[in-house]
Amino acid sequence: MNAENVKSQMRKGTLEYCILLLLKKEPAYTSDIIQKLQEAKLIVVEGTLYPLLTRLKNSGFLSYQWIESSQGPPRKYYQLTEMGVAFLGELETSWQELNNTINHIRNI
Amino acid sequence: MKKTFTVNLGGTVFHIDEDAYQLLDKYLTNLRVHFKKEEGSDEILDDFEMRISELFNEKIRLGYGVITIAHVEEVIKRMGKPEDLFGEEFDKETSQPEGKQSAVYPEEEKVHKRLFRNPDDRILGGVLGGIAAYMGWDATLVRLGVALLCFLSFPWGGIGGSLVVVYLVLWLIVPVAYTATEKLQMRGESVTIENIGKTVTHSFEKVSSNVNDYISSGRPRSTIQKIGDTLVDILGAFLKVILVLIGICLFPGLILVTFVLVVVLFALIFGGGFKLLDHLIPMVEWDTLSMFPETSLFLGSICALLLVGIPLVAGIYAICSYAFKFKPVSSGVKVALLILWIAAFIVNVILAYRLGVPIWETGIPGFGNYGSWSVRI
Repeated sequence: MNAENVKSQMRKGTLEYCILLLLKKEPAYTSDIIQKLQEAKLIVVEGTLYPLLTRLKNSGFLSYQWIESSQGPPRKYYQLTEMGVAFLGELETSWQELNNTINHIRNI
Repeated sequence: MKKTFTVNLGGTVFHIDEDAYQLLDKYLTNLRVHFKKEEGSDEILDDFEMRISELFNEKIRLGYGVITIAHVEEVIKRMGKPEDLFGEEFDKETSQPEGKQSAVYPEEEKVHKRLFRNPDDRILGGVLGGIAAYMGWDATLVRLGVALLCFLSFPWGGIGGSLVVVYLVLWLIVPVAYTATEKLQMRGESVTIENIGKTVTHSFEKVSSNVNDYISSGRPRSTIQKIGDTLVDILGAFLKVILVLIGICLFPGLILVTFVLVVVLFALIFGGGFKLLDHLIPMVEWDTLSMFPETSLFLGSICALLLVGIPLVAGIYAICSYAFKFKPVSSGVKVALLILWIAAFIVNVILAYRLGVPIWETGIPGFGNYGSWSVRI
């Protein structure tokens, strides 16, 4: 049993949920997502995000457009799809449930 | 003074130092190998390249004209070292299919040791280096031993020659250990996150230490060593070409022999097919074959078919896989085929001896001149 490992597993479990939450308000560039996640201390290295975004896109929860940028070549601009919105709803519910469970156990 | 390369990364052109290029190339190759199985792996790789390109662009804007190894190291640290990235993946891989097993025996995961050619420790094809890594022996001692065996057995001929043949066969069929995973399997170390990380960072260290050598000594390899390297490269290419040429020369003959063997087999199974053979190849008196015990003939022709057919099919498959990008055969199948082939060879030699001796002694008409034919069956 590795304490660090358990903690990082916990964080990783919420990663998809957090990405969808970030994109709920407004579409964003990959680098914006990375920046916000790093500010929230959720990810340490950027490389974790690319496979995750591609997986979410392949599952139909995200879509992206190429948007011209003022500096350098066009970049991917990610947004939620309808399926993604629905999936986010499910995740919100299960997060709420998890929260309730933990609170319940804490207060026993 | 350093040599630089020009690379196109995510649509932007960069000038990059030679050592920095090697490090980046290694990093990207490891990522590519790792994400190979995943759906959309090209896209993931493109994302990585795009991001690295962005980070390099920032450096360029700061006024750096050339990407150096320090920049690449910084970028890799930021993107995540392979062990950081793969850690997560490996947890997933091991917990999904073998969840039950690893829960019971978390420490005793079975290590699949596999024979590879060792690209990091090679003189010719890396066969002996691979065997040394596989057995955990010292590669130099193995080479010395094989060389001695070749020379010592010279008076008796055979052994040295067959060692060379065995070496060439191994060179052809044993795959090279390209990825970190394969290099670990070659040594029989378990494929864990820590070990993968070690191998990958080890090769990183190797790159950077080479670089240091380069900077401090100015000459990484002496002229004589370089000449040696070139000679070995030429010799290696030459041997492969010769093998291919031999294959091409033997090809029509092999097909003919296979055809004849199939007909003989049919004749044995359905009976009376010798007339057909008489018709097709009148030079041989096929009727004389029927004087041998049928079982030996049957066994003989099956083995001969294997003896000829396996290299033939293997050759055709190799050509096809080269031309049409088929998946290469797994080494397990290769070893099985090789064993089958050797077994067929031995059976044939025994049969040829048992059947051939009476023929030579009695001198059956029609077979006197075609004694060699009886050896084939």
